[in-house]
Amino acid sequence: MQIDATVLSGLEKLSRLQIDSDKQKNMIDQLSEIVTYVENLSELDTDHLDAAFSTLTGGTPLRQDDSRSDPSIPEAILKYAPESADDFFVVPAIID
Amino acid sequence: MFETVIGLEVHIQLNTATKLFCACPTSFAAHPNTYICPTCLALPGALPVVNETAVIKAMRFANAIGARINETSRFDRKSYFYPDSPSAYQITQFYEPILRNGTVRIDLEDGTQKSIRVHEAHLEADAGKNIHEGAVSRVDLNRAGTPLLEIVSAPDLRSAHEAIAYLKKLHATVRYLDISDANMQEGSFRCDVNVSVRPKGQEAFGTRVEIKNMNSFRFISEAIEYEVQRQIEAYEDGVYDDEVWQETRLWDPDRHETRSMRGKEEAADYRYFPEPDLRPVMITEAMQEAARELPELPDQKVARYTEKLGLKKYDALVITADKELAHYFEAMIDIGVPERSAVTWLTSELLGRLNKASLPITESPVDARTLGTLILKIEEGIVSGKGAKEVLDHLMKHEERDIDAIIEKLGLKQVSDDGAILAIIEKVLRANEDKVAEYRNGKEKLLGFFVGQVMKASRGAANPAKVNQLLKRRLIE
Repeated sequence: MQIDATVLSGLEKLSRLQIDSDKQKNMIDQLSEIVTYVENLSELDTDHLDAAFSTLTGGTPLRQDDSRSDPSIPEAILKYAPESADDFFVVPAIID
Repeated sequence: MFETVIGLEVHIQLNTATKLFCACPTSFAAHPNTYICPTCLALPGALPVVNETAVIKAMRFANAIGARINETSRFDRKSYFYPDSPSAYQITQFYEPILRNGTVRIDLEDGTQKSIRVHEAHLEADAGKNIHEGAVSRVDLNRAGTPLLEIVSAPDLRSAHEAIAYLKKLHATVRYLDISDANMQEGSFRCDVNVSVRPKGQEAFGTRVEIKNMNSFRFISEAIEYEVQRQIEAYEDGVYDDEVWQETRLWDPDRHETRSMRGKEEAADYRYFPEPDLRPVMITEAMQEAARELPELPDQKVARYTEKLGLKKYDALVITADKELAHYFEAMIDIGVPERSAVTWLTSELLGRLNKASLPITESPVDARTLGTLILKIEEGIVSGKGAKEVLDHLMKHEERDIDAIIEKLGLKQVSDDGAILAIIEKVLRANEDKVAEYRNGKEKLLGFFVGQVMKASRGAANPAKVNQLLKRRLIE
């Protein structure tokens, strides 16, 4: 995969990060190096293999539909939130 | 001429007691952020565990629409960045959904049925809610992690009318299955519409536009009509490629139009990948067993009502469209109310009064047993049909439930006693001897006049059938 200025700008948007223009060249080089390294994997012949999603076998454990709630948990979570009011989390205005 | 092509994505909130991946209760109206925990807030270290009941409810839906249950389904991450999702991704099923290839049969106006294919349905976690207030937004995460089943139809629908018929059928089905409250106002039954147009005869689909933000059947119908018109006009004006592109539009119910939600250059990039915190969901025989037992569904009820109970198809469709209505109807039949009267009293008398009071059948002040008892009083000749309507009005407004006492109190007890009616007849005939003579000379139309006079003299209490019968006999003598 080719990392160029267009891909980088897409990644900036997705990650909500801004790369200074004097660092962009360096960033493109580093990302290219990483992707090239990972691309070594494509040398393996996987044509006759099913995609593996995990090294574990068997299904996921399932949970019974019994509810549990402890008021001290939301209390603690809200207390450590950067900002909250009237038990809402408060974030900068979202522009739709 | 153009053809409309519609596909629907319906999100139903499964009515489980707990969220999809944690034991937090699911509750519509709780105080903000009451039911949150490290798992549904995606705090570091917390791991999701799948709710078995949610899976079984999805499987019941699969069985109801004849879909194939995926014995091994998987969860994936869908990345998106918004404060209603603290994890910055949604756990959903992108590659291997819980079910595929079902069919929903819809009833068309001409009495025929059409099969609409359901591509797939997948389990996913709902997001929280944002409330926008000027410079800040407030976030309530009670709903975050609530189980949703997203049901994706094939583009088989050809008009707003068909789309609504499909939605209503789906709505009824999930309510019968008791897998969702399917309340549109509360957001437990939500719908996104994909709509495109193409010249009749053209095989390739046109450009599809997605419409969101509709919480009533009426809005959905209006939004489709508007969007179809917009696309056809663009086509006819030769600006189709400039004005119709694959995008998401919002329905604005106040301005009666769809509006572009985001520019075309900003297509979402969800970067789906397998959820590393969850192994595949493997369906066990015990789960299959639990999902196999289904209640009688709308189509089966319609068949039984028309074939066994002799209802008209139209009436059967009206009654079965709503689970509670069907239960109400069946409860009346169970206490011996004749089918025909049950239909009329339920669909016109009771529903008419409930509509006026803006009450759903579930909140009817008059239950099926009470209304049934009243109808049986008509059958027994104790009250007239007209009198029974007054009793029903009384029942709608008062707590009192002793039907006989109410009939008595309102003076609606019908006189069926021959002697009492004959006494009134004598009085009426004596007061109208000239008309009696005319009748006997062949002016038989006067019978109606005599019936009217007798009914009036009895202040409406006489049984009209009895009056008719006795009058005829008396006039021949």
